[in-house]
Amino acid sequence: MASDEWPLANAGAGRHPQYWKPASDEEHQMQNPRWRQQGEEPDYRFTLANERTFLAWIRTALALLAGGVLLHQFSHSLGPRWVVVALAVLLAVIGAVLSVIAYTRWRANEIAMRTGEPLPFTLLLPLLAGFSLVTAAVIAVLMVFG
Amino acid sequence: MTSANPAGRPPRDPGLQPERTALAWNRTALAVAVNGVLVLRAGLVGSAPLFLGVGAVLLLAAAGATAYSSVRKRQLLRAVGAPPTSSPTALALAALVTLLASGAGIASILTIR
Repeated sequence: MASDEWPLANAGAGRHPQYWKPASDEEHQMQNPRWRQQGEEPDYRFTLANERTFLAWIRTALALLAGGVLLHQFSHSLGPRWVVVALAVLLAVIGAVLSVIAYTRWRANEIAMRTGEPLPFTLLLPLLAGFSLVTAAVIAVLMVFG
Repeated sequence: MTSANPAGRPPRDPGLQPERTALAWNRTALAVAVNGVLVLRAGLVGSAPLFLGVGAVLLLAAAGATAYSSVRKRQLLRAVGAPPTSSPTALALAALVTLLASGAGIASILTIR
């Protein structure tokens, strides 16, 4: 069964035999809000998948934001200017909103997994797809007629 | 799933969870860095020192996220049994950094030319 071993599972175990020190009371409050003490610890793969989903939403927010800022900084031949500025601000605002939603959604998913409820439903995906389509269409129109 | 094999070690994770999670943090760091550079550029073009400062903070945050990705990977690889769960503090910080970047982005769009 040697190939089934997790090769680095115990790397550094000698240096840090007690890697999970019992947290001080203050650390405990920060890392363990009340919702983290209810329900059961889910399969760790699901929690890690939830962490990666959160990070994927954060990257989506950052990508929309970068798109807005790039549009504003580099699209001087596109016009009328106010449309470009409005679109850029809209992209950046949606990035800001998404960063908050990413966290609240991560938390809601975490709670749902702990209590065995179904994961919360979200309209975010169709909304985001629709918004991306509209953005692309507006930029295309600006490029042809602007 | 957590049953130990004869060597007393946890079974190898077929999904490579530690690696995928660390890579997700790395990609996020990269996205933060891109926005940091854009805010820095806005500061240089519009000679606005505030944006230079925020850009520097964002680049530092990107470095922090990169560091956290390797911390997280080590945590997960070292874990025997159930690995440590996600840290709400780290995730909240990532969301706050994104919010800061958004604020700077909106301000730069509205104030610079």
